[in-house]
Amino acid sequence: MSQSSTSLASRQPATLAEVAAAHPDVPRLIILKTDVQRRGVFYTDRALSVLDPKIHSVTGTHIFGTRDGKIAPRPESLLLRDGTSIIITPTALEEDPYVVDLVDGQPFLFDGGQPLEAVDYWPAPAFYGKVSRSGVLMKNIVSARPQRLVVNPSRTCTFWNNGKGCGFCDIVPQTKKGTKELNIPVTLDPVEVAEVVAEALREPARFSALFLTAGSNVNGAAPFDDEVETYVRVLREIGKLFRTKKFPSQLMATAFTEAQLRRIWDETGVMSYTADIEVLDEALFSHHCPGKAEWVGYHEWKRRLVSAVDIFGPGRVNTGIVAGIELAPPYGFATEDEALSRIVDEAEDLARQGVSTVYIVWSPRPGSVLGKQRNPASLDYLIRLAKGLHGLRVEYRLPIMFDDYRHCGNHPDTDLSRLLNFD
Amino acid sequence: MSPQLSPEQLEVLAHPATHKVIATLDEDGSPHAIPSPFLHARPDGLLVHFELLETSATNRNLLRGLWFGHKLAVTVVGALGQTFVVKAVSVKAEISGPAFGRAFETVRAVLGDADLAAVWLLRPHAIVDETYATRKRDEEARYPFSIHLDRLLVPRDQATSDRTQP
Repeated sequence: MSQSSTSLASRQPATLAEVAAAHPDVPRLIILKTDVQRRGVFYTDRALSVLDPKIHSVTGTHIFGTRDGKIAPRPESLLLRDGTSIIITPTALEEDPYVVDLVDGQPFLFDGGQPLEAVDYWPAPAFYGKVSRSGVLMKNIVSARPQRLVVNPSRTCTFWNNGKGCGFCDIVPQTKKGTKELNIPVTLDPVEVAEVVAEALREPARFSALFLTAGSNVNGAAPFDDEVETYVRVLREIGKLFRTKKFPSQLMATAFTEAQLRRIWDETGVMSYTADIEVLDEALFSHHCPGKAEWVGYHEWKRRLVSAVDIFGPGRVNTGIVAGIELAPPYGFATEDEALSRIVDEAEDLARQGVSTVYIVWSPRPGSVLGKQRNPASLDYLIRLAKGLHGLRVEYRLPIMFDDYRHCGNHPDTDLSRLLNFD
Repeated sequence: MSPQLSPEQLEVLAHPATHKVIATLDEDGSPHAIPSPFLHARPDGLLVHFELLETSATNRNLLRGLWFGHKLAVTVVGALGQTFVVKAVSVKAEISGPAFGRAFETVRAVLGDADLAAVWLLRPHAIVDETYATRKRDEEARYPFSIHLDRLLVPRDQATSDRTQP
C-alpha cells in the first residue's frame, strides 16, 4: 500500500470549474466548500477590518488548532448562501489557500484574484460576551456554530500519555495554547456548563442542537468508564433544563461498550452517537490511530458502532473519517481509485447495519504528527467520496439530520443529504 | 436589475387579507404549491418566504432550485381580486443570526408553538399582472379574435328595425 512520489506527482489537479463540470449532479456550492476546506483560507486585512466580535463569532475556542498555527481573532467560520457552513482553518498564503476579501463591503471568497462567492461570517450568539460565575468568558465554556452549541467537557486525550494519539490530532498542544492564551478550562464544571447553556438558550431560535465531545479517557474500572462518567454528569445537568427526557443532541466520543452506551442512553437526554473511526482500513487505522487500535481495535470499533444502533436507533449513529489521511505517504493507498473503493466498501458494511459514515477534509495542523504533510486528496476524489457516502444513505435509507448542515456543517457528504426524501 | 413590485402591488402584498402561494418544482418536475402566509418584500426588492418545516417539499425544492437553477413562482391575490405572479429564483437561505431570530418570533407570535427552518430570499425575474379585469381588458384589445361573437351582439332591447345588414 506504499505510495510512490511518482504517483502523486503525476496526478493532475483538477480545478473547481473542471470538477464542477465533471459532477453536474453535485451543487457547485458544495464543491466550492469542499475545495475551501481542502486548501484553507487566508483573510486579507480588509476582510478582517469588518470582523466585529459583537456581531460575528471569532476564533479562539477550537478544541483543535489552525493550519497556520496561530491563535488570533479571525472569523470562526463562514456561511454560504445556501446555509452551508464552511468550517475552515486559516492557512498561510504560501500554501495557496482561497482568499477572503471584500466586494462592496461584503466578504467574498476569491481565487486567483477573482471573486467567486459571497460569504457571511458566522453570527455571534448573544451569550458570547458574558462571563460565567467562575469568571470565565462563557464562549470559553460553551461555543457555538450557527445552529449548534458545542461543549468540550475535557480537552485532554489519554491516548497521548504513551504517545499513541492520532497522527492528525493536535488536541494536546492546542489545549496548552488555549489554557495559556485564552484561559480556557481544561475540564468543565457540569453545573457551570448547564448555566451557560441556559443563558445561550435565552436567544430565540439560535440553537437546534447540543453537541458534546472530548478527548478519549481510558481510565476507570473498565476502560473509558471515566470518560463516560464525564459525559453523563454534564448531560444530566444540561438535561435539567428541558421538559422532555430527550433533546436534540449528539455525543461524539470513543467507541464504548454496550453497557457504557446503555448507561449513557438511560441516564441522559442525548439522542445520537458518533464514534469516529477516522480511517476505514484496518492497517491505516493502526498506523494513524495507535491509541484507538491499542484500546479498542478496528473490528471492535466497528462492532461497537453497530451495537449502538440497537440503543440509539437507525439513523442516529455514525462514524467520522478524516478524508485524505488514507492517501498520506508512506502508508496510504497508491491511488485514489483504490482508496475510494476500499472506503466505500467498508462504509457500506456499516451502512447496511444502520451506521452512517461522514467525512471531514483532513487539514494538516502543525501541532500534529502528520502536520508537515499536505492533504494529497484531489478535489475530484473528495467529491466522489461525498457522492459515495451520500449514496449509501440513499440506498440504505439512513437519515443523517443529527449531523447535517444545521447540526454540524463540517461534512460535504451530509450537505448532499439535505435533499434526502424518505416520504 | 431585478424587476420591482409597484407601490400598489407592495400594498396588496402587505395587506393581511391577501393570499400568497409559493409554487416550486419537485425533483421529477411536478409543480408543488403551498400557502406562504408570511411572504413579504424587502426594501431591496427581494421576496422573503418563511419556511417552517425542514423536510418539507418546498424547503427541498427551494434548495434544489438554488443549487441547480430551477425557478419558482409566487402568486399573490388581494381581497379585491388584484392578482400578480412573481417569477423568481431562490438566492439565499438564512438559518441563523438576528434576522432569523426575528422571523422566528414573528412566526410564533402568529402560530404559537411553531418552529422555523429557514428564511428564504427570492429574487424576482418577472412580475406578471394577473388581475382578471386588467388581463381581460388587455386580452380583448390585443387579441380580438378570441372574443365570442355572442358577447358582441347588440342587446335585444336596444336592437332597432332600421339596422341594415352589410
